[in-house]
Amino acid sequence: MGDLNDIKKKRGIGHLDSPKMPFDYFNREYGTVPRDTKRAPFQWVSEVAYKNVHRIVSRGYDTSELMEEGYGVVDVLFVDYQSRIPLIEEEQMLNYVMILALEDGLSAPAAMSRIVARTKTFLTQAAAASILAFGHAYGAYSAFGNRLERYLKKADAQKLTLAQAAELLVRENAREHESLGVSGLMLKDPAAQRMIARAEKLGVAGKYIAFMKEIAKAAQTQSPEPVDIDMLGATGAVMMDLGFSAEATWAILAVTRALAAGAHYIEEIERHPYMRLGEALTPKEDYDGPADRPVPPLKDRAKVAQSGVCKTVDAWMQAREERKKLVGSGYAIEEEIEDPSKKSGIKKVGKL
Amino acid sequence: MEREPVFRRKTAISYKTEEKTVLRGYNLSELAEEGYSFCDALFVLYQARIPTEAEEKMLKYEMGVFLEHSMSPSAVAAIGVSAGRPNLPCAIAAAVSTFGGVHGPGAAHGYMLNKYLERAQREGKTPEEMAKILVDEYMDAEKPVMGMGQPQHIDSDPRAEPIHVKQEDLELEGVYLRFQRALEQHFHERRKREGRSRVGVNVVGSGNTALMEIGFSPMAGWCLGSVCRGWSCAAHALFNMKKGRAWGASRNEPMVQMIDLSMIKYVGPEDRVVPKQEERQEYARKQKEEGEYKKWAI
Repeated sequence: MGDLNDIKKKRGIGHLDSPKMPFDYFNREYGTVPRDTKRAPFQWVSEVAYKNVHRIVSRGYDTSELMEEGYGVVDVLFVDYQSRIPLIEEEQMLNYVMILALEDGLSAPAAMSRIVARTKTFLTQAAAASILAFGHAYGAYSAFGNRLERYLKKADAQKLTLAQAAELLVRENAREHESLGVSGLMLKDPAAQRMIARAEKLGVAGKYIAFMKEIAKAAQTQSPEPVDIDMLGATGAVMMDLGFSAEATWAILAVTRALAAGAHYIEEIERHPYMRLGEALTPKEDYDGPADRPVPPLKDRAKVAQSGVCKTVDAWMQAREERKKLVGSGYAIEEEIEDPSKKSGIKKVGKL
Repeated sequence: MEREPVFRRKTAISYKTEEKTVLRGYNLSELAEEGYSFCDALFVLYQARIPTEAEEKMLKYEMGVFLEHSMSPSAVAAIGVSAGRPNLPCAIAAAVSTFGGVHGPGAAHGYMLNKYLERAQREGKTPEEMAKILVDEYMDAEKPVMGMGQPQHIDSDPRAEPIHVKQEDLELEGVYLRFQRALEQHFHERRKREGRSRVGVNVVGSGNTALMEIGFSPMAGWCLGSVCRGWSCAAHALFNMKKGRAWGASRNEPMVQMIDLSMIKYVGPEDRVVPKQEERQEYARKQKEEGEYKKWAI
């Protein structure tokens, strides 16, 4: 491809030959990268499952054999996520949890499913959209569970009692109250307390439920409002006592709800017409942005345009504070997104 | 505390107050307390009824055997999405979204059965007679018969026949199984007559037959099948998120990764010069006239 590079070099391409570039642009190769024969070829590596022409095997168990032996869908969740057959009591408890997790009225996942449904999609798209509604506030099993793990580790390391660790957890995480598992949401509904009681009755309650109870006590002491264990707290603690990780809990319960989101998709289509592009209006009374104003003629752009570039840190600070006032600009939100890329890898798999 | 509904709708599915969550008239907490299973609750959700024990066992079996399928489009999607390390639900949603017209087309199979059963009733034919008509019409039109064949399990889908047999063992044979069995028989006979290889029933053909037999609509059946796969896909995504390499292109792993540069095989137009803006109009006009681009347009 030397010719092509020569042609391009003669023609010049924008700034690509700028001396500021840390490379000689016109000396770069074309074409794809040859197959790497020094390393093992790519394969789908899995500890979870494999299949061949004749069987599907999850964690060593043939899934058809599991069903033929009388196990069911709930047992397979233990197999897939924990690589084990659950005790009968554990299977009963997970059934219980999943019944409670199945439906929550017209909350975010159902609303997502219904909104997507109205645009005339496959059911699977709507059910998938409902899963996206499980964030770090609604269905915050990951945030909740990992916090429980962190403070239990802290209790071990610092020789704290469960009560002391709970008090610390509540005090240090008041700002993230939506994922504490303790709130005023279930003060009149006994479902969360019943779930805890069922886990204790079945003998599957362990350290997470014990810790959750201490967290509730600590929150009741620290909160000016009446609070108690809510569905997030009860479900999350029970799932973790059943041996599921915080992430597994998140996944299992989000998918459980998606099964009901399908019913919401169906009902939405049965009861309401599809919505066309441009059909939905947004009433002006719901709008509180800048007042209506004339669009300046393009020739006047230089007169009316305002630069967003800040030349000094002070100017940048001032502009940022100002920009926070513009709802929808994103300046008022700070969300740290962790880069976990250096924390994993399977160095033992694939060596030739 | 403001607890306004996210979305206002008249609904026959459920309601939720400060005191309870009620699904089709049943308090969810009481359903669980009575010892009903999750599968029982799915009957309540989609059919507003408590199922027989045999029906509950059938659903438990069908979903259990469908849940995990190792590497199929759904798991691949979950793993692909997880490579960027978004929140886990994104990977699961991607997995569930892969279920369409080819991957697990449960609703399509159900609609096909319903359409021909309706026709059987209208034309006074038995399910067996109508199954032959279906097979002939589909195969004459060179359309794939829904529920037959699986690209990986080419020697009979390991889940499919056992589901049929389970349905028979549980004495849940009804019009759907009768029709599906007849469809399979005519399908096999015709392919044999035409000198073609045997193509077995797949998990949609048998599983969806069972789900419809126990009262689920094609849509509900599709939801149960495709969404329950999300559980295993989440496990595959989690394995990769916790133990696999992010991004999937590291050259430090001993095995070539999923999107290593060497995995790309390019078969598109040759490398070429980008026209200058002053050349653009003439270049574009010529390109359009010559029409070579149409070979590549998708």
